Amino acid sequence: MGGGISGISAALDLAAAGQHVHLVDNGFDLGGIVARLDKYYPTDHCAFCTLWAEIRRCKENPSIFVHTLARVESLEKNHHVFQAVILKLAPVIDPELCIFCGRCKDACPRGAARPIWEHAYPPFYIIDRDRCGDCRSCADVCPTKAIDFDREEARFQVPVDEVIWSAGFSEVSLEPLKEYGWGTHPDIMTSLEFEAWKAEAGENRGTILRHSNKAVPRNIAFIQCAGARDLKFLPHCSAVCCMHALKQAQWVRRRNPAIDCVILYTDLRTVGRDYYGYAIRAIEGKGVRAVRGRPSLIYPLPGSDGIAVKFEDTLTQTREIWKFDMVILNGNLQPTIPALPRGYAVPTLATEGRVTRLFESYGHIMTPAHVTESAVHASSAALRSIMEGKK
Amino acid sequence: MSADSNNVKILVFACRWCGLFGADAAGRQRIELPVSFRVIPVECAGYVEPDLVIRAFASGVTGVAVLGCHVGGCRFNDANHPALKRLELLKTLLDTTGIGGNRLLLGFGTTHEWHQYVETILGFYRELEGLPSMGAWVPVKQ
Amino acid sequence: MPKVTVFLCDCFGEIGKVIDLESIRKRFNADPAVDGVTITESLCLASDVERALSAIHDRGIGKVLIGACSPYGRMEFVRLGLVKKGAELRHVRTVDLREGCAWIHRKDPEGAFRKAASQLDMELALLQNMQDSKDITVRLQQETLVIGAGPAGLSAACGLARLGFRVHLVERGSAPGGLLNIISQAYPGGESGSEKIGLRLEEVSRNHHISFYGKTRVVSVKGQAGDFKVTLAGPEGKTGLRVGAIVLATGARILFPQGLHGYGKLKNVITQMEMERQFSTGKPACRTAVFIQCVGARNIDRPYCSTICCPLSLKNAMRIIDEIPGAKAYVLHRDIMTPGSILEAYYRKALEKGVQFIRFDAARPPGVLGEGQVGEVQVFDAISGVTRTIETDLVVLSTPLIADPESAALARMLEIPVDKYGFFAEVYPNHPVETLNDGIFICGTARWPVSSDQAIAQGEAAAMKAASFLGKKMVSALAMSRMPDQKVGHASVNSDACTGCGNCMAVCPYGACRLQRMGNRSVSRVIKIRCKACGNCVSVCPNGAMQMPELNDRAVCQMIRRAFREVR
Repeated sequence: MGGGISGISAALDLAAAGQHVHLVDNGFDLGGIVARLDKYYPTDHCAFCTLWAEIRRCKENPSIFVHTLARVESLEKNHHVFQAVILKLAPVIDPELCIFCGRCKDACPRGAARPIWEHAYPPFYIIDRDRCGDCRSCADVCPTKAIDFDREEARFQVPVDEVIWSAGFSEVSLEPLKEYGWGTHPDIMTSLEFEAWKAEAGENRGTILRHSNKAVPRNIAFIQCAGARDLKFLPHCSAVCCMHALKQAQWVRRRNPAIDCVILYTDLRTVGRDYYGYAIRAIEGKGVRAVRGRPSLIYPLPGSDGIAVKFEDTLTQTREIWKFDMVILNGNLQPTIPALPRGYAVPTLATEGRVTRLFESYGHIMTPAHVTESAVHASSAALRSIMEGKK
Repeated sequence: MSADSNNVKILVFACRWCGLFGADAAGRQRIELPVSFRVIPVECAGYVEPDLVIRAFASGVTGVAVLGCHVGGCRFNDANHPALKRLELLKTLLDTTGIGGNRLLLGFGTTHEWHQYVETILGFYRELEGLPSMGAWVPVKQ
Repeated sequence: MPKVTVFLCDCFGEIGKVIDLESIRKRFNADPAVDGVTITESLCLASDVERALSAIHDRGIGKVLIGACSPYGRMEFVRLGLVKKGAELRHVRTVDLREGCAWIHRKDPEGAFRKAASQLDMELALLQNMQDSKDITVRLQQETLVIGAGPAGLSAACGLARLGFRVHLVERGSAPGGLLNIISQAYPGGESGSEKIGLRLEEVSRNHHISFYGKTRVVSVKGQAGDFKVTLAGPEGKTGLRVGAIVLATGARILFPQGLHGYGKLKNVITQMEMERQFSTGKPACRTAVFIQCVGARNIDRPYCSTICCPLSLKNAMRIIDEIPGAKAYVLHRDIMTPGSILEAYYRKALEKGVQFIRFDAARPPGVLGEGQVGEVQVFDAISGVTRTIETDLVVLSTPLIADPESAALARMLEIPVDKYGFFAEVYPNHPVETLNDGIFICGTARWPVSSDQAIAQGEAAAMKAASFLGKKMVSALAMSRMPDQKVGHASVNSDACTGCGNCMAVCPYGACRLQRMGNRSVSRVIKIRCKACGNCVSVCPNGAMQMPELNDRAVCQMIRRAFREVR
């Protein structure tokens, strides 16, 4: 349940061991969040090259049934077998038939027909239902008759012996936490929003620009633990944000050494292989500034286009208000627990909202984890589910 | 930049990973590019040796581009690192032979997005057009 | 020379409206190397391959040249479809006429035509001059070797055994357990070290598939993936094994803080491991315990974080408070490394129990003072900006895990790299237990400092990967590509021409090129299982003795020659 890096790894391992796997993902294509990142740590390259081969393997493997734009509607346990009902939403454009000619895009008066995200291979077009005016001009011009507005969603039931939860994480809106100011200024963004904004494959082609006026920012603040490690909001630590901020900050410096980058952190968690070395290279090598202090208030400055960040600099024990052109908030991640309307209840930890049974869960859903840990959990879960099946 | 510019005949050796992702994306964006370049896809940019580059020049090609992944990103465990060094050395040698090191473009990790590929190709074109013609090159006949 | 069948895809006009496909067809039909050109409206939809093939003579598919869309798109479906009908994947070459030609040269159809014809001509030259690498099929030995019987090694061994593989579990100590033998209580669950691996220890003695060799070391490893010949040296002499996969779980060592913070000079300045021993045999006798983090870590000598020391200190600090009535515990730290939800909750628990946390900066480390035995610790509290003095009768130093001194030699023996800190390295972050050498897997603290939970998970992951690898039982060398496709070919050397210079051996990332004696010469030999067809050896060979048959010198020179040849 979930076709990101964890789901893909587990599916491939299970298939190699002779098992049949239903790989369900609610996106248009597999890959999850990691495939959409501009760069990922610790390699500092784009992630899709590494994932692309895996995704292809999943699609070509006769033992893996890939269901995209799908979700598991219910899971009922009967003795030792789960009956899973999978709901496959109907994409207007069938990816199996789309040859990527783009005639639908030319025919669409409202820009609803657009290609899938940049690094999906093979690429295909999708219809954005929110923009679509239902004129159906696209269907008329499609040479392979891939477009069908009346395509029905399909529901089918499959019996499965084991379930692996690999739905990863999703962002939590920071709107309720007024002190972070998210939503009050276009330059206050979450780190995933910033990742898409600064992406080489994105609209700015990798140039670092302000979201408000497309000017070059003079400085950017990265606020750690935004919403996280907060008993009122998300009590856990999201694990990946410190490295994520370091990655983003040093990439900003690489692309424009004139932009001052400041990471405001509480604990700079750099636990994995050479992560501390990565932090040192970012701080001493690329001039990223790491300042220890948790902001109390972030707000757009009245009468100016900047953003104020109020915090205590714990090194100097002084209260500061610094002005930034952009503020990136890091931390607001929660596990994506699939909501099952009826049937088998997802076993979760009452306080943390995490999936409990270790062998049925892994990756970010069990505890926030980096790519390496997620891949390990995936293979471990695959092994345990096979062993469980042999009992 | 006319399509029949005699000066410019580019042969591109591109690894089929980072080297060509940008080319593919540029195609999908329908960016108009000049026609006189040809692509030879290879497994790794490290396959390209000085011999091949010289043969290309001897066959009438006026510019050679080698596109690969950036050092640290080679899927064959940094095999492109010594390759890059070899080709940098070749650039220097080309200067001494009169062909000119600027006729060899090394793009390691610079063409994985469409705009990067386009800028690389167009930039190379502009540069080559500005150079004196290779003279009465007689392509080597068998 | 077998002729080449050519398919040109119009892509519903996307290609045809720019490139004059009829003229292309005419030109190639006239080429003696071509056995027929078919233009189709599409090639990638379900029944297309069938239809396209019906247009050619019923002769079986030999070499195929396709002019269609980008190789990163639907082209793969076409190639695989042809393979299903009997084509050899390597003999199906494609030219990108869409993203690579028609779509980028819309304003110059004449130029696009010339380019399309040239590119097709070049691939034709390749197909004509292409030779075939000899493939070999290897039987994958179904036995496995796990080196190290700590939590990672035990998990790997049990995993593999349950999946039906014979496991040789080698441990240089006298008993399994590794670092967990010293840990009296693991975090966060609180079980003892031996309880944590109890089930697995039991399984090792019970399961017939597992052979345990205590006080044994690996002295030599030869061969490659699927067939490693291993020699063990143990109390009963040498043993030879033949295994298909090797899992490295050799663990790590704790750094002794010699000369740091009074260790060795003052009494009651101890390491975490010594604290664990004290807990195993009773309770430490102290009223106050001060834990100092990052001792000998995150500094110039060892610029890395050892992962486990913060949670370990939290656990022991909480234990002191729980088990010694009225005792106090302080943790002096630079950052508390408890990422994730489980560990962060553990941190909160420590706070609630009354463990006191004082943060110091690397530039101003704490000072441990005393005469004969420890008396107090002075630390500049970076948060409050005040120097604090803590009277204490126990100081525990958290030191990092360091690479085992035998790791380097093992790495050389197994031909896998170590990172700059001496830990075994993986190749890609999303394949964390797989190394450069196929068939060799790494897990646990031998790979990088991790908690026992993570080590267990990694051991299982390594077992899973090893099992997936060996599960095929037989594999052809061409199939071992780490890519969805087969390899393009293998490098192959002409021993008569080879001068034994060794350039290929120096440049091969996988150790596939080896020099060996042949009579009174040294010549290169390519180990097909290891070769990944990157072509670097071909490029550094001074006289062309090393070739990639599928992309040999003759073929690529023809391609270069035809690149700008006049198109009739």
